[in-house]
Parts: sequence; structure tokens; C-alpha cells
Amino acid sequence: MNPSLFSRQIAALRHFAAVLLRRPQSALGTALVCFFLFLALFGAGLAPYPNPNDQSHAVRVSPTLDIGALRLGEHPFGTDRLGRDVYSRVILGARSIFRIAGLGALISVIVGSALGLYMGYRGGWFDELLGRVIDALLAIPALVLALVLVGIIRNLDFEIGSWQAELADNVVLLVIAVLYVPVVARVARSSALDIKTREFVEAAEIRGEPTTYIIFREILPSVIPALVVEASLRFSYAIFLVASLGFLGFGARPPSPDWGLMVNENRGGFYQLTPWALDFPALAIAILVIAVNLMSDGIRRAVQKGN
Amino acid sequence: MTAPLLDVERLTISYRIGKRWIPAVRDFHLQLAPGHIVGLVGESGSGKSTVALALMRYLSSNGRVESGGRLAFAGEDLLSKSDAEMRSIWARRVKLAPQNAGAALNPSMKIGAQVTEVLGAALGIGGAEAEQAMLRMFHDVNLVDPEKVAERYPHELSGGMQQRVVIAMALITNPELLILDEPTTGLDVTTEAVILDLIRGLMAKRDTGVIYITHNLGVVAQLCERVLVLYAGEIMEEAPVEQLYAAPRHPYSLGLLNSVPRLGQSKADSRLHSISGNPPALAELTRGCVFAERCDFVIDKCRAEKPPLEQLGDGRAVRCFRWEEVTVYPHPKSNAPSVPRPTGDDSEASRRRGPAHRDRLPPIAMGGLRGVEKNTSPLQRGVRDEERVLQKDDRDTDTLMRVTDLKKHFPVARSLGDWLRGKKPAPIRAVDGVNLTLGAGQTLGLVGESGSGKTTLSRLIIGLQERTGGQLELLGMDIRNSVRERSPDVLSKLQMVFQNPQNSLNPYLSVRQALRRPLVKLRGMTPAGAEAEVAQLLRRVNLREDYADRFPAELSGGEKQRVAVARAFASDPDLIICDEPVSALDVSVQSAVLNLLARLQEEHGTAYLFISHDLAVVGYLSDVIAVMYLGQLFEVGAASDLFQPPYHPYTEALVSAIPVADPHHKAERMLLHDVLPSAQRLPSGCRFHTRCPRKIGAVCEEEAPPWREVDAGHAIRCHIPLEELSALQHSFLRREEIA
Ligand SMILES: Nc1ncnc2c1ncn2[C@@H]1O[C@H](COP(=O)(O)OP(=O)(O)O)[C@@H](O)[C@H]1O
Ligand code: SF4
Ligand code: SF4
Ligand SMILES: [Mg+2]
Repeated sequence: MNPSLFSRQIAALRHFAAVLLRRPQSALGTALVCFFLFLALFGAGLAPYPNPNDQSHAVRVSPTLDIGALRLGEHPFGTDRLGRDVYSRVILGARSIFRIAGLGALISVIVGSALGLYMGYRGGWFDELLGRVIDALLAIPALVLALVLVGIIRNLDFEIGSWQAELADNVVLLVIAVLYVPVVARVARSSALDIKTREFVEAAEIRGEPTTYIIFREILPSVIPALVVEASLRFSYAIFLVASLGFLGFGARPPSPDWGLMVNENRGGFYQLTPWALDFPALAIAILVIAVNLMSDGIRRAVQKGN
Repeated sequence: MTAPLLDVERLTISYRIGKRWIPAVRDFHLQLAPGHIVGLVGESGSGKSTVALALMRYLSSNGRVESGGRLAFAGEDLLSKSDAEMRSIWARRVKLAPQNAGAALNPSMKIGAQVTEVLGAALGIGGAEAEQAMLRMFHDVNLVDPEKVAERYPHELSGGMQQRVVIAMALITNPELLILDEPTTGLDVTTEAVILDLIRGLMAKRDTGVIYITHNLGVVAQLCERVLVLYAGEIMEEAPVEQLYAAPRHPYSLGLLNSVPRLGQSKADSRLHSISGNPPALAELTRGCVFAERCDFVIDKCRAEKPPLEQLGDGRAVRCFRWEEVTVYPHPKSNAPSVPRPTGDDSEASRRRGPAHRDRLPPIAMGGLRGVEKNTSPLQRGVRDEERVLQKDDRDTDTLMRVTDLKKHFPVARSLGDWLRGKKPAPIRAVDGVNLTLGAGQTLGLVGESGSGKTTLSRLIIGLQERTGGQLELLGMDIRNSVRERSPDVLSKLQMVFQNPQNSLNPYLSVRQALRRPLVKLRGMTPAGAEAEVAQLLRRVNLREDYADRFPAELSGGEKQRVAVARAFASDPDLIICDEPVSALDVSVQSAVLNLLARLQEEHGTAYLFISHDLAVVGYLSDVIAVMYLGQLFEVGAASDLFQPPYHPYTEALVSAIPVADPHHKAERMLLHDVLPSAQRLPSGCRFHTRCPRKIGAVCEEEAPPWREVDAGHAIRCHIPLEELSALQHSFLRREEIA
């Protein structure tokens, strides 16, 4: 890559960031997402008790957090009925949600764009066939599809350590991919349909460029803005989905410090005893979902403005 | 002059750019009386649209009219009016047909509803009456199937159709003042002629005052009484149209007039004049004359102080220190080229078109018409059977490409009804049996209205579309259907320059990347070798080497098109297909690109297939011209013969519709009403019979006309015998001259 191109891209990126952060809502959302991302990356060092399943504390301690005095105390968010520090568990839970939702969104965007661009550019029977499959997948309600998939895979018996077992452990990742690849593919396909009629693509065709070159060098760059928007949207949906699956008991399995799972484990009768063990992870989910939505909305606006 | 309808004085219009307000149009003035028409001319960015928007008080939120000016419409000061007051004026009394037709229409409303709404607001008519008026108007602006158009949404119409809808919306209310911003740019000459006629009619009927904005000097000459030449936001020259064309006083006006090729002018005669450089950006306006950077007459004084707008009397004014010396423009009636070739080596004789010149033309190789006896008088030659003559072809060595019976039929999807009845809908026959031969190093011009199949034909040749039938031979080799099946050797021999400079370069690739790829891919160069060649290519298209690092967004339209030309030449092709390569460019830039194409052809011996709806442009660059209508050729001939009788009635109509850049030439037009019939339901017999002004009777409807040969290489496909055709057309032209 030549240096002038590189510096141009840096400049474009800075401009994009400036536009994104100029809007207060988007700036707030982005800041909060960065905060959670920070927790996900460095949570192990920040949590007072790095082992989420450390049960050595007194059970059902009330939160010691005192916002007025800016004091965290021994157990800022209290402890649950098993004597685990809720504060540490919430911090450590950030990692799992970011890992699954982020990786899931990334996989969906990469696979979905490759498929969609190819479908849109080549057309023909491949596009026809895959288009039908995609339409069918999109017709099923997301959560139903997720529950069915998780149910099936979880109930298969795999040898421990085999790749199937590995897959079953990451079943939520698989679910996200199955749900969102078609969505991204559809967006990428329609962008490719638009771009491929541009004359620069035809100029590449009359030099006999191979399909992969045309898709990745000629079409992809023009589609990237749309894909960035789609990626941020998929990420925000994935966060919500991971939390929902955890809550329904189809996501992470106990004793993992998954926020959705924590909400699930502490509802019903237990809520009377330790409301804080539910309230704090629920609050974390709510804030993250709202923050991600604000950010992705901001990204969409910034990209549209950039065009 | 009657009381002015519009009286504008000292109007300055600014745009906010960043934190500063920058005057985009300075000290503009204009007087317009009812029933009169004034033209506003200048290249893009000169401020024409800004003036139009300001007169309408339609400026965007980052634009404003500076105080101190005067803008009076029918005696009322528009600048002090509230939006509510303006709204009633907008509804009935002044109308703007904006440049960007697509943006002017409401995307979520059907076309018909939008037009009847305008009618309701303006004239208070509605219901069936409004509907009728609308359909009549749609018909008048040459929209096919007015009922269907009314039922569609804007995005379902082509750009040209949207443009006509917007013009119809402006005309239908019979406003007192009509502002048309580049209304016919990109429309066919035939449609343009019809619309200009409508505007004249409206002015006569309603005493409407019209401001006509364009960069087409031909249209101005035909339509306008006075012209204002605008450049970089200032009036450069103001004159009655006859005087401007006879003797422009400003170097910029002179440059514009000399940039347009006139019908009959050829690359063999002279290069076109072009105005070098680009207009200044808004923010970099200088102290001196705004035109100084590009002016051939510039002196030191011009850079130091701004020339005043000097009144010359007779309604003329000019902003130039040296206007008295600007006199080199010849009378437009003469065909002599106005500017000598840069090389300056031509004698007067070779600059004038004449028989001697015609002899110099390379032999015209045209399939189907060669090898016919040449000694009989042209008009006595009879009907030629195409098939028979085709077999007689002589494969001479300099034949580059031969197209035989080329066909493209687009299948039409079956509707459910058709499917149930077991019917198969007729295909769209976009190209339906075309025979052509093109000699090496020649230009074949292809003309015809949009929809006649020119682009499809070119795409079949280049291989972007697969043909339904026929053969394509390049240098004696059969070539395959689609680009995917063609060998790199064939690919490198055939290249293309596209119409729209905006889309022809990838916005995310630098000029270097765009040029390097064909070198590596088709000429097998190493990266290092390609690097040197990129610089070479740029120099050849008159761009500085440092343009290699620019991106398309940093290039003007003309520069983009030069890069596209460089890219096409990169593989050293034998044939380049140019599909409307200059239609989207300003006249000043257009001439530079045409010159470039002519020069590169001379240097490299490259042949062109050149498509354009501008007959003068095609005539300038072509050796042979083919006239296409509904998928077939109707006339083929040397460029020097084609635009004079005898010609095919369709060619005659096309030629007659050209607005000639000569105000004295107020010719009687042969208007072609209606649009092309659908290529799915082609007319029987002669395909042109539904619109032909010279139709002779049932035979035209029943029998396909024969090819008749006028001259070696010039043939016409019509039932009318050539002698008769020639006589008819000569008498029509004479009538025109008397009129
Ligand atoms: N909305 C706008 N904001 C800022 N600058 C503008 C805007 N519209 C036009 N300009 C600038 O004003 C100048 C005149 O433009 P315009 O009126 O569109 O010219 P024309 O119609 O002759 O092409 C140009 O330099 C153009 O870039
Ligand atoms: S004032 Fe000078 S620079 Fe300007 S147009 Fe006249 S001669 Fe050219
Ligand atoms: S054959 Fe008849 S309809 Fe066709 S162009 Fe000639 S006169 Fe017109
Ligand atoms: Mg304009």
C-alpha cells in the first residue's frame, strides 16, 4: 500500500470518528461500549475476586455500594445465595457476552458479505437457490430458530474433547451465525447488484478480471460503508440475543458468570432474598444494549453523512 | 420594451463554506420583459443554477442573497416577501424546472398525482379536467403512454423521462415567468426540438418570460433573444444573440463558441478550440479578472485589477480590458474552421471542406455495399440485394472488424396470464440484424435516438452482453460471445470508454491503480515497467504525472474522462468503443476530449466505434456514420456525405432537429413527434413508417424497404427512389432558406 493511500485512510477514519462523536447520544453510546469493552479485556485484573465462583464469602450480603460517599465497600453489589461476589461476577461476565456477540457478529459479517457479494455479482442459479434458502431462514422468527438449534445440538451426545463437543459448547456462536449470515448476505447482495452496474466494474470485466478480483477489489470497497453499518447493527442484536438465550437457560451454562444466566438464576423466589443478584446484571444488560444501539445508530448516521 | 417582468440589480449570492460566507455569484443583473427570453450560458460551476435558485428564493439553507441588491418580479420586491407570500407566487406565477429532475419529484407519490396537485394549486382545476390536461401535456413533451407514466413512481422512470415530467409540470400551469435549468441536456435532439417548440408556443400564447439556462450554444442561438455569459459567478458578456454569435467580445464567449464542432466540421480539417484549465474554485477567487488563468489574451493588468462591466451600447456589455481586440471569430455561416490547427501547417484549401478533401478520405469499408460498379451516376443505381452483395465481400487487409447479421433479442418474462394460456411473449428485439464493416484506424459513428439500440450493439461487440445471433470477426478471427470466453489477446484489442465519468472510475482506486491494472493484466508488464508506463499514459492524455496519486473525487469531469481514455489505451487496442464519451461534459471540456481522441487515433491508428446523440460531434470524429433506428441500420455513408440530401428520412429528421449555433438560421423544423415504438412490437414493413414524415403509402407499412446505393459506401434503406428523395429534400431545404 502506498503511503499516501494509507494517510488518506487514516484521515478518513479520523473524520469519521469526529462526525460520530459530535452527536452527544452517539458519543455517550460509544463511550459506554468502550467502557464495557475495557471490562471485557481487563476484567480479570479489575475484579476484586478474579474467580467468579469463589464461594468463600458470607451469603446474601447486601450491596455496600454508597454512591453518595463514592465508596465501594467489601461487596459493592452484595453477594448471592451461594456467597459469590456479584460485583466481580458482573465485571467478569462482560467478557463472555463480548466474546460471543462480537465474534458472532464478525463471523456473520464476513461470511454473509462474501456470500451476498458473490450472489449479487454472479446471479444465476447459485443466487436463485441461495436466495430461496435465505428467504426461508429469514421467515422463521429468530428466537424460535435459536431455541430449536440450541435444543437439538445440546441434546446430542458428543465425546468430550471432540470437535463436535467443542461446537456444542459454542452453540450460541453458531446460532448467531445461522441467524445473521442471511441478513448480512441480503444487504451485501443488494449493494452488489447496485455497484455491479457501475461502469468501472464493466471496465474490469472487459479486461478479463476474475470474479474474485472484481468482487474484492472493485465492488467491496464501495460496499464497506453499508457493511460497517450492518456490522454494528448485528453486534447490537447479538448482544440482545446472547442475553436472552442466557436468561432462557439456553446460553451459557452454570456456573458461568453470564449476565443473562445470572438473571435467570436469581428470579422467582430467590428474588425476594437477593434482589441485587438479579438487578445488577439486568442493569448491565440494559445499559449495554442501549449503549450499543446508540452507537450503531451514530455509526449509521456518520456513514450516511460521509457519502 | 414593455415594463419588465423581472428586474434584477446588483444581486450577490453567497454560500457558507466552513465558517465563511463566500460570494458565489457577484453583482448579477438581468431585465426580462413578458414574452421575451434570455439565455444564461456558462460551464458548470459558473453559478447558473445558483442564480436560478436565488430568483426563485429557493436557495438551500447554506445560501443567502446579500443585502443591497434588488430582485423585483412584476414590480414587487421578492426579497422582502415572506414564505407564505412566496408560496402563492410559486404556485401560479413563476415556475422553475430544476436541473436535477430526479430530486424535484416526490419519490413517494405517483407522477400523475403530483402533476394534478400542481394543477389544483395553480389553476384550481381538479378531477377529470386536470387529468385530461396532464395527459395532453405528457403527450406534448413526447412521453410515451402518458396514462402509464402517470401511474408510476418517479424511480420507475428513466432520467430522460423524469426530465420531461418536470418540464411538463413547469409548463402546464402557464406561468408568467419560467426558469428552465438545463432542461434538455441529455435528451435526444428530436425530443429537444419538440420541447423548444413547446416553449416558443407558451411564450407566444401566454406572454411568458423565460430564462433558459444551458451550456448548449446551439439551443441558445435558436431560442433566445439575449444572452448572458456567466463565468465564476460574474457576467462576462451580455449581448443580443445575433451580435454575440457574429462577434463575441469576450475571450470566454469566443472560447465557448469555438469549442463546439459545427455540423460538417471534421477532424481532418482542424482541431477544435478548447479552453485549457479549470474554472477557479469558489474559495480561491482572485483580485483580478476571474478568467485570467485560462485566457489567451491575458496581460499583467488583468491579474492586478478587476475589469469593469463596460457598456458598449446596443444592449451590449463586456467585462474585459481587451475586448476591442477580440475579433477573430468568423461569421458562423461560413464553414471554415474558426481556429487554425495548433500546428498551423494547413493551407486554406485543406481547411475548407470540398471535393478534394473527400477524395482524401480512406476507402470506406462497409459490409454489404462493396464491389459495386462505380461508374454509373450515383442516383441511377438501383436497389441492391444485401445478401448478394454481402457474399461478394473482399477481405482486404485493412478490415478490422466485420459484424454480420448481429442480433440481440431480450427475452421477456412470462406473466402468469401468458403462462396459463401457454403463450410466450415476444422478445425485445434491441438489435435485429446489423451488418457493418470497420476499417483499421477508422471511426465509425453510430447515431440514433435513445432506445434505437446503439448501446446494445456496442455491448454485443465488446462482449458485455451475449448475442442472440450473428457473427463478429476481428482481424479475420471469429470472436466469442462474452468477455468471459474471450482470450486475453482479443480482450486487449477491444477496449471501451464509457459515458458517465462519475461512474467509469472506481472511487476507491487511485489513478495509478486504475492504469496499472490493464498494463499488468493485458500487456503482461512487470510492476516496475507498469510504473513507467503509467506516467507515459498520463502524459499522452495531457495530464501531469502527479495525477497518478489522485483519486477520482479529486478530478474534474473532463480529467476523469481523460483517465478513462488513458485506461482504454493502456492495452494498446485496435478498436475502442466510445459510448457517449463526451455527453456528460461541458462544451469547453468536451472539445478537449474530442481533440485528444482525434490525436491519439492519428498517433496509434486505433479505430473507434463512436456513439453519440450529438450529430455534430459524431460528424467531427467519424469517417463513416451509421444511422440506427429500432435495431436496424437505415443509412450508412461517409461522414462527409451523410448530412446532406439525399439522406434517409430519419437522418433528415435528426439533422433537421439539431439546434444550429447560428441565430440567422431560424429554420423550419421537421419535428418527429411521438417516441420510438416499443422494440417488442416492431412496426411492420419499414420500421420508421409510424413516424416518417415522407411516408409514401401502404408499401411502407407492408414491405421492408430495400437498400439503395447513393455512392460507393453510401446507402439508404427506403422505398422512395433516390432521385425523388433528393428532389424532395432539396426543395424542403430551399423552402427553409426562404422562410
Ligand atoms: N448548496 C451549495 N453549497 C455550497 N456551494 C455550492 C452549492 N451549490 C453550488 N455551490 C457552488 O457555487 C458555484 C456555482 O454553482 P452552480 O450554481 O451549481 O453553477 P452552474 O449551475 O452554473 O453549474 C460552484 O462553485 C458550486 O460549487
Ligand atoms: S480582462 Fe484580461 S484576463 Fe480577463 S478576459 Fe480580458 S484579457 Fe482575459
Ligand atoms: S420506406 Fe417509407 S416509411 Fe420508411 S423511411 Fe422510406 S418513406 Fe419513410
Ligand atoms: Mg447547474
